[in-house]
Amino acid sequence: MNVERIKNAEIMLDNVGMTYDAADGKKVQALTSVTMDIQKGEFISLLGPSGCGKTTLLRIIADLLQPTSGKVLIGGETPKEARLKRKYGMVFQSAVLYDWRTVIKNIELPLEIIHEGKAERRERAVKMLDLVGLSEFANHYPRQLSGGMQQRVGIARALALQPEILLMDEPFSALDEFTREKLHIDLLKIWRKTNKTIIFVTHNISESVFLSDRVCVLSPHPGRLSAVIDIDLPRPRTMEIRDTPEFTALVAKVRNSFEGV
Amino acid sequence: MAAKVNKKRRSAVQSVVCPLIFGIALIAAWQTGLLHIVLNTDEYVLPYPTRIITIIGENSDKIMTNVWASVQVAVLGLIFGSLLGYLIAIFATVFPKYGSGGLTIVSAFNAIPIVALAPVIINWTKDVSSEAEVRSAVAKVIVVTVVSMASMSVNAYRGLTELPPFSDDLMKTYAAGRLTEFVKLRLPNSVPYIFTALRVSVPGSVISALVSEYFAEYITGVGRQIRENILIAQYSTAWAYIVTACIIGIVMYAVLMVIEAIVLKKRR
Repeated sequence: MNVERIKNAEIMLDNVGMTYDAADGKKVQALTSVTMDIQKGEFISLLGPSGCGKTTLLRIIADLLQPTSGKVLIGGETPKEARLKRKYGMVFQSAVLYDWRTVIKNIELPLEIIHEGKAERRERAVKMLDLVGLSEFANHYPRQLSGGMQQRVGIARALALQPEILLMDEPFSALDEFTREKLHIDLLKIWRKTNKTIIFVTHNISESVFLSDRVCVLSPHPGRLSAVIDIDLPRPRTMEIRDTPEFTALVAKVRNSFEGV
Repeated sequence: MAAKVNKKRRSAVQSVVCPLIFGIALIAAWQTGLLHIVLNTDEYVLPYPTRIITIIGENSDKIMTNVWASVQVAVLGLIFGSLLGYLIAIFATVFPKYGSGGLTIVSAFNAIPIVALAPVIINWTKDVSSEAEVRSAVAKVIVVTVVSMASMSVNAYRGLTELPPFSDDLMKTYAAGRLTEFVKLRLPNSVPYIFTALRVSVPGSVISALVSEYFAEYITGVGRQIRENILIAQYSTAWAYIVTACIIGIVMYAVLMVIEAIVLKKRR
């Protein structure tokens, strides 16, 4: 591995592979030799159909899974070191709000864990809630919010510790089209304001093209990185960009890069 | 929204009005003697409701003494059993290796009938005190403790281990320690399960308190009075205690429902 690469990349994946032991004693290759670098402040999508290992890859980066081969470095550290330093904010498929806590208390949760003072906790949580545009719902309980609002609270909570990297695992897949498109715009605004590195897992081609700097196409059986496509659409991106021929061409290019689906 | 309100109203009718009508009809049939004809019995074995109420009024001091004896046993046993059951659930969560086996043993206790359990425990505790009143009370509380413990440990274990999807991953991404995860996630997650357990063990504690009184050395409590009065063929007085026993059970369950509604209000 060359030193230059370690220095520059925020996240470096080197020949990362994952093999599961299936119930019948066979080995299942979920992921084979994924090598790529992600730069600081980049918006990256991991795109692919189910079974392509995109969530596995995200969980390896997050130190929720240990790869069976290869190496991952986060700013020169192992994923575990990065996790213990709380460099990650994670957003899951569902909002995972604790239903016994109010919205603001949910956002304060990570700050409680790091023993932040009460006043600072509240101040930061209020700021985060404002960032996702839900200030007036601070004292609501999660069940009183719509799915889209809950997911926005989840994003606010993920940002509360001011992590360097935001990991998002199909965060909008359970939402309707209208809510999803609105959240795309919101997410890009938040990204611009906070300057995070974002890794966004999705199975939605146009979503990945709309949001990303680069789309990493993963193909299944076995899960592998089959293409990395630069999305050179101008920023800031607006809803209208979806109607341009450039956008359509990129969607087609991404679609054609799948292998064996 | 309107449909929702409508549905709520309909379920209120079903859960309150229907049972109420049934109860009133039953009492009316009882008081008019219709029930006696149907059951082929007489007013001596099955006294009229008004007669039972009169007897309760006449013996209120004595009844209250016995109610107090029974409620004390039920509540103390419920508290000890629930605490013990919750501690077992925590142990099983922290040490999963021994936990599931331990829980199986505890829930096996639940399968022992109270009529089998009570005499054994009364025999065990015959040396704990020189006073019959004290050693009988200890034995009865232990019976209720055993019965309450089982439902709490099994339900609390579920509450401590069956977490919402990704909620434990979330804790991990925050690098939260095991203790933090326990306090911030597992404990609050178990609260509704505690009430599930109590819905079973509150009525269970009343029943096991009353039944264990049957076998106790010292003669006291609502359950024991039912038996004593039947033995001397005082059916009206026995019925007064039966009605009292029902009221104890209903009141304790109602108190639980009120507490549950307050505690879980925000979650539902």
